Amino acid sequence: MRKLTALALSTVAAIAVTAFSASAADFKIGLSNGWVGSEWRTQMIEEAQAAAAAWKEKGHNVEVVVQSANVDVPGQIAHVRNFINEGVDAIIINPNSPTAFDPVFAQAKEAGILVISTDAEVSSPDAIYVGIDQKAWGAAGAKWLAETLEGKGNVVAINGVAGHPANEMRVAGYREVFAEYPEIKVVNEVNANWDQAQGQQAMQNLLATYPDINGVWVQDGMAAGAWKSIMDAGKTGDIAATGEIRKDFIDLWVSDKLNSGASVNPPGVMASALNVAVLMLDGRELKEPATAGQYGNAMYLPIPFIDSSNLEEAAKAVEGKPGYYSYTSQLSIEDAEALFK
Amino acid sequence: MAAEATLIPRKTSGLKRLFERFPFLPALVILVVLFALNGFYQPRSIGLVGITGLLKTYMPLMLLAVAQTYVVYAGDIDLSVGAIVSLVNVTIIVLMQQWGGEALPVLGAMAVGIGVGLACGIINGIVVAAFRLQAIVATFATSIFFTGLALYVLPVAGAPAPAAFWRTYGGRFAEIPFVFYVVVVLAVLLYLLARTRLATQLLAVGDDAQGAFQSGLPVTAIRMKGYALCGLFAALAAFCVTGDTASGDPLVGGKMTLSAVAAVVLGGSALSGGFGTVVGSVIGALIIGLISSLVYFMGTPSEWQNLVQGLAILLALMAGILVGRRARA
Repeated sequence: MRKLTALALSTVAAIAVTAFSASAADFKIGLSNGWVGSEWRTQMIEEAQAAAAAWKEKGHNVEVVVQSANVDVPGQIAHVRNFINEGVDAIIINPNSPTAFDPVFAQAKEAGILVISTDAEVSSPDAIYVGIDQKAWGAAGAKWLAETLEGKGNVVAINGVAGHPANEMRVAGYREVFAEYPEIKVVNEVNANWDQAQGQQAMQNLLATYPDINGVWVQDGMAAGAWKSIMDAGKTGDIAATGEIRKDFIDLWVSDKLNSGASVNPPGVMASALNVAVLMLDGRELKEPATAGQYGNAMYLPIPFIDSSNLEEAAKAVEGKPGYYSYTSQLSIEDAEALFK
Repeated sequence: MAAEATLIPRKTSGLKRLFERFPFLPALVILVVLFALNGFYQPRSIGLVGITGLLKTYMPLMLLAVAQTYVVYAGDIDLSVGAIVSLVNVTIIVLMQQWGGEALPVLGAMAVGIGVGLACGIINGIVVAAFRLQAIVATFATSIFFTGLALYVLPVAGAPAPAAFWRTYGGRFAEIPFVFYVVVVLAVLLYLLARTRLATQLLAVGDDAQGAFQSGLPVTAIRMKGYALCGLFAALAAFCVTGDTASGDPLVGGKMTLSAVAAVVLGGSALSGGFGTVVGSVIGALIIGLISSLVYFMGTPSEWQNLVQGLAILLALMAGILVGRRARA
């Protein structure tokens, strides 16, 4: 009986799906996300779906199909193979590994599918990257911190997952900046695995070990944790630390007048990539081919920065949103068109 | 199980005997159903290209599930299999880079890779069987250690595999995709291993370690051999991962560990030990793969995909256990 119900349900689903795809989409774009651990990723997909819907006004029917689940690398390779089997026009992927997709992207290209990675760069010559430069992201926060400290002081860094490419690039970014300030001393660097609670714990330990810290360079959600420790220790006024972009934190930033600055990795990157993808599927050519980055296939998007000068605007932008909502930005269709011939 | 069957022979129905001989039958039925459903929603997914892709993608998980099965036989568990995959993956990649991409160096690197897998397995065996630490905690600890080693060998993902290596894995011989040969070799290997004394001994230890010890079996050595065999198959899984991803990534295998355990259970093996088949684990791995593609092909909205996938695996587990229990009762 249970099986029967399941079968009936899935048949209904199938009919619904066929009915949907029967509306003659101009382009079918597959979105693959291999990690569902944060609201940022959910927002990323929702913004991309909204961006696809926005193409309707321009006379394009862009249908997106999404695969989003916690998967291992082979599981995400399976995502790509499913898209190939289905015959999509383009695949936009937030990849779980920088290098592991080379063979399967080659197969996608053979099948005539455009592949764009976003949020994390991939080494495949058969794909392009549309997203921010993680190294510049790391450097921007470090530059703000160094300038805020007027070029001298003791700094600690709280990093994400060791060996994760985005983390390594961000680390390279801040190291390069701090190296330019001889009087800034990085006294310790720890890993807190992009986990808010671990970030808080790490900051507590660091405050206990080094009572004379002046600055903290910390990434993403860990910043909220680190700031909690700083505030608990009563050092809110004495320490400058990088922040993050979720509404909860921005509210705290405003109300407690934190001395903070945040590089923005906007969840809108996938929407930006989608707009680029549609124009490429249209046969348009980029003014400047995507050749940046260590793999020579990247097109970098601008990185917004929030500090005291524009904090109010940022707070306004996320007003009325839920606490986990991230400050975002994306290439609008017009912005994207400006990049093409 | 076998003892019961001989004690009450009259009640033994044909179906029951069938299940006793092939405990993976429920899993096989589920696999066939999933296969048909996948074909129904996306006919291309069960064409030759689709099946080749499925095998290429899930061959690592199949091998890893087999690896896990041998320790589960003895009532142990190995939570470090994914980390071993990562470590072997980066080791052979770095060696192939240093030695060059010709046939001989590639084979040499693979031999070292097998050695690394074996060594990891033996370390697990020593920690669990000789030092008598709880398997679940001890192998969790070694998994962190192996991941640390992998990060030391290759700090960031990125080194490419020689083209010859992944072209072979992804390519064809005599018009037949290479991965089908892998399946045949695996089948032969599993058949031969199932006939060895070690497989029986592992099951005996898992069924009743005390009894096995009292009847004179070297329990510690047997459990260690189980872990060694597990390390060996994890190394083979790493070769397939490397073939399918063409690169080194020190974190590539981490998330595969629990999938492998799930595949073992889906295949009808008992985590308490003493009962199971490697064929079941292979089928279990394919079930996991087919469920995740079916969830997508059915058009599940993205925010429900994790939930539906988890529910489907749970259903498959329940169906397998209920059917198996009824058939054996």
